[in-house]
Amino acid sequence: MKISYKWLKQYIDFDLTPEELQEKLTFAGIEVEAVEKPGKELDQIIVAQIDEKKAHPGSDHLSICRVNNGEEVLQVICGAPNCAAGQKVAFAPIGTQFGDFKIQKSKLRGEVSFGMICSEKELGISENHDGIMVLPEDAPIGQSLASYLQLNDVCYDVEITPNRPDLLGIFGVARDLSALLHLPLKAPKIEIEETNEKIENHLALQNDAPDLCTRYVARMIKNVTVKESPEWLKQRLVSVGLRPINNVVDVTNFVMMEFGHPLHAFDYKLVQDHKIIVRRAATDEMYTALNEETYKLNNNDLVIADNQRAIALAGIIGGENSQISASTCNVVIEAANFLYSSIRKSALRLKLSTDSSYRFERDIADETTELVSRRAAQLILETAGGELLEGKLDSYPNPLAEKIIPLRRERVTKLLSIELTNNQIKDYLVPLGLKFVQEEGDTQYFIAPPYRKDLLREIDLIEEVMRLHGYNNVKTYLNIQNIMNRSEFYAKRKVADILVNNGFYEVKNWKFGDPEDLDKLKIPADDFRRQNAVLKNPLGNRFSIMQSMLLPNLLTNALFNINHGQKDLKLFELTKVFFRHEEKLATEKWQVSGLMAGAFSPKYWKENAVDTDFFDMKGVIEEILESLALTKIKFAESSESYFQPGMAADIFIRNKKVGNLGKLDPKVLESFDIEQAVYSFDLNLTDVFAFCQFADPVFRDIPKFPPVLRDLSFIISKDVKYEDIAKTIKAINPGIISQVELFDEYTGKNIPEGSHSLTFSVVFSSDTKTLTDEVVNKIFQNVINKLKQDFHIEMR
Amino acid sequence: MKEELNKILASAQQDIVQAKTLNDLVVLRSRFTGKKSILNGFMQKIGALPKEERPAFGQIVNEAKSKIEVILNTKETELKEREYENTLKKQKIDLTMPSRRIVRGALHPITKIWREVEDIFISLGFDVAEGPDIEDEFHNFDALNTPADHPARELSDTFYLENDVLLRTQTSTVQVRTMEKYKPPIRIISPGSCYRNENDASHSPMFHQVEALVVDEGITFADLRDMLNAFVKKMFGDDIESRFRPHFFPFTEPSAEIDIVCVKCKGKGCNVCKGSGWLEMGGAGMVDPNVFDMLGIDSEKYTGYAFGLGMDRIAMLKYKIPDMRMLFENDIRFLRQF
Repeated sequence: MKISYKWLKQYIDFDLTPEELQEKLTFAGIEVEAVEKPGKELDQIIVAQIDEKKAHPGSDHLSICRVNNGEEVLQVICGAPNCAAGQKVAFAPIGTQFGDFKIQKSKLRGEVSFGMICSEKELGISENHDGIMVLPEDAPIGQSLASYLQLNDVCYDVEITPNRPDLLGIFGVARDLSALLHLPLKAPKIEIEETNEKIENHLALQNDAPDLCTRYVARMIKNVTVKESPEWLKQRLVSVGLRPINNVVDVTNFVMMEFGHPLHAFDYKLVQDHKIIVRRAATDEMYTALNEETYKLNNNDLVIADNQRAIALAGIIGGENSQISASTCNVVIEAANFLYSSIRKSALRLKLSTDSSYRFERDIADETTELVSRRAAQLILETAGGELLEGKLDSYPNPLAEKIIPLRRERVTKLLSIELTNNQIKDYLVPLGLKFVQEEGDTQYFIAPPYRKDLLREIDLIEEVMRLHGYNNVKTYLNIQNIMNRSEFYAKRKVADILVNNGFYEVKNWKFGDPEDLDKLKIPADDFRRQNAVLKNPLGNRFSIMQSMLLPNLLTNALFNINHGQKDLKLFELTKVFFRHEEKLATEKWQVSGLMAGAFSPKYWKENAVDTDFFDMKGVIEEILESLALTKIKFAESSESYFQPGMAADIFIRNKKVGNLGKLDPKVLESFDIEQAVYSFDLNLTDVFAFCQFADPVFRDIPKFPPVLRDLSFIISKDVKYEDIAKTIKAINPGIISQVELFDEYTGKNIPEGSHSLTFSVVFSSDTKTLTDEVVNKIFQNVINKLKQDFHIEMR
Repeated sequence: MKEELNKILASAQQDIVQAKTLNDLVVLRSRFTGKKSILNGFMQKIGALPKEERPAFGQIVNEAKSKIEVILNTKETELKEREYENTLKKQKIDLTMPSRRIVRGALHPITKIWREVEDIFISLGFDVAEGPDIEDEFHNFDALNTPADHPARELSDTFYLENDVLLRTQTSTVQVRTMEKYKPPIRIISPGSCYRNENDASHSPMFHQVEALVVDEGITFADLRDMLNAFVKKMFGDDIESRFRPHFFPFTEPSAEIDIVCVKCKGKGCNVCKGSGWLEMGGAGMVDPNVFDMLGIDSEKYTGYAFGLGMDRIAMLKYKIPDMRMLFENDIRFLRQF
């Protein structure tokens, strides 16, 4: 629903900027979905005067005007029949933007026009397109039209929750705000004067569907003059996005926007036999609505009819056959209410959603009909003249009974934690329209106003108390502080999970160590792992230090399992290692180490078993580091004492050594009584985590263009490292070469000693275009040339 | 002429019906309807006919040709269908043969319990705090209301390193470190290894504990009981009640030992609970004001509780592991079970 800042201000004198008002609305529970400034387009339009008008020599309907905009006098071509010298007009200078349309300097039949004189329709002020809009004589030349018409308003598009139909009118919103802001509500004064001619003598009402039409009030005004609405009325409607039509229809729309209760007006002479019948539609009854569409109705639709035909689809849209027109003389004002579910079903089935159905669907109040009927009568008399007949026709089959709702003070505290006095509670509720009945100790009794159908129980009142008190004014107690390092906590779990998913079993050992094991691993005396935390009263020599490496215990575990016939092993441990040199306490670091031995995967009848090797372990390490989003990882040959030379690597992140992996020296293994090949790895997690950003993954666009694959096979010296080849290929065009993968290595027949044949699969892809053969071929040739030049490859 | 055509038609029909493979059909198609087919040859004869007979002749030949084509196409569909079925038949497998599996490893049972404990407490609003295994006497004893001459120090056989440094005998040390660093409100658990100098069938020199510490305004003994009840029920099930027995710990007062209903016999009495129906799970109590005072926390303003539970014991109870030593043997036939 749309709410105008200025209109709202008519009922409540707040001292808020449009931005502050938006905030207040939001915290009243009225969510502002969009803010528009309807006068914005009209800011560009200027009040100007036609100084002179003469006929266009090349046209019989165009005229050439000299238009004075306050700064200069411009020639403007105008086609309106009503334009005349001396008029004050709305002038759109060159550059004015109407939606997609921009006013430009143009030539009309040979005469240049520097702008446009606008009609009301062009300005979006009304449907009137008969001629240009003529402003009052005192309109100041040079002022913007928006500010002259006081259209510099703000329009809020708000979402009204389904429980609050009372907010479907601007006055209802004002009422809620007045309670929230503790400001007086200025209700419009409704005073009407009736003639002594009784309505019953002119019009009859028959409600044949009291289950669907819960109230129907009709009033009648004779001798109205249907014409354009006065400026103030048009402005109000325009400010909430409605188009003015004529004074009578405009009044019904105005009152709907004011009180949230839709109305309808009929031309009395078109109501056959002067009788209004509220009835269900006949099956397949055809009905033509104001929108010139014809609908096929059924027995579940409710119509307002006369003796012969439907004249309105109740609560949804009026009929073409009874609408107000310039020839209307006597007006019947309908203010009614209908069963919300019935309106909803009909509107849905007929795909007809109107401002009226939107409100009736939300179960508005029967009581408001009387109010809006009087308000509409008042405003029609004011804007269209005429005489209001005495009395009204009123069908109200089941008047609402008042319900007294008790509210216990301690219940408020129990639920909300806030301590309020009886008076405070009352001061919150009464401005919302609740009637205070009486109090008995800490229990107060209230009656909800008819327009607040959502207030039925104590809890409903408590919700209102909370809303008025302010949700964010409740003191909170729980004060949670972050103590843990969540990132490292979950990263440790992730590392263990990756190892488990790669087939590793986690072991747990006592964190003691044996200095002799360090000897067996040939750890040099000056190595940091020899800076041990030594126990004074150990269980024995084997447990005399705190572990500085995890490998010895892992090897003990391997031996235990091998001795029990389990030769295919993947084990890891994730725990602490300890170093103590001169510090008082020890240095404790998180470490993950593991070993692999035997077959890589269990024997499967379809293929041959493969023994685990260096690259299996390297893959696991890479997976761990990549899962931590680490880059700049390097593997370089390790000189660690316990590895077989040339079969082990140290792991570097940004040139800092964080671990190693490799094949254990068979002689070292022998000292642990192990006779089979074992690979091991070490990763210092404390050091690794120091490089981690622990940032969440960030979405990247899925490639829109298909990749192109090319294979590249060549003979190259074994002295050239794979990594250097892959890097060289990628570097040729890093934007387009997205992947370089080795998929075959071959040595033997036809390959010279000391060389091998490598086959790479190169993937070319682009984020911006489909790659043509021509482009790919060129890059591919560059790759070959570069490899020939740098590594003297021989293509196969 | 017509007779001849009928003959061709008949022989075509016979040959086509007998075709066995799609290849046969290709040959037949070219023989009967191809460029050098009998029918095409027939069509050549049209030139020899008088002009007025030609259209009728052409029509007859074409009709024969389309009849043959229909027969060919029907047969082709049939053969293709048969070939498809044969292919499927050939691909049939013995569904009972062994599957291929990606073999996953497993976390150690203590780690599994460890994570479960952490997750339960995290879900209850706790943070997880860590501290060093190698501690000083202040954090392990003094700050926990156990001064040097206190008899409680003899309750545990402590591993010592040079310079009065020791292996922590309980993870309560992390409580101390947390209270040194953070002001209340504090809600932490600290899982970790502890050490005592003993090694027999029911004692391991290294074992795992989880300690909890809650310090805030208005924390009461009821909160302590609630939290332990909540934990025990989440860990062992809704039917496992817990009870408190008065006990002594230097750093809590009132202090209690926590029993839970035996998870095996549910209280009836069995070998696990030695007939009592109850299992001892750990210790608990309200933080002693001396501990707060020592750490500069206003013991009038704040109250708090702490409790400690044995992680290895929980694992053994949950997984029905009969011998504590198996937890540290790392036999993969054991590890594979979890």
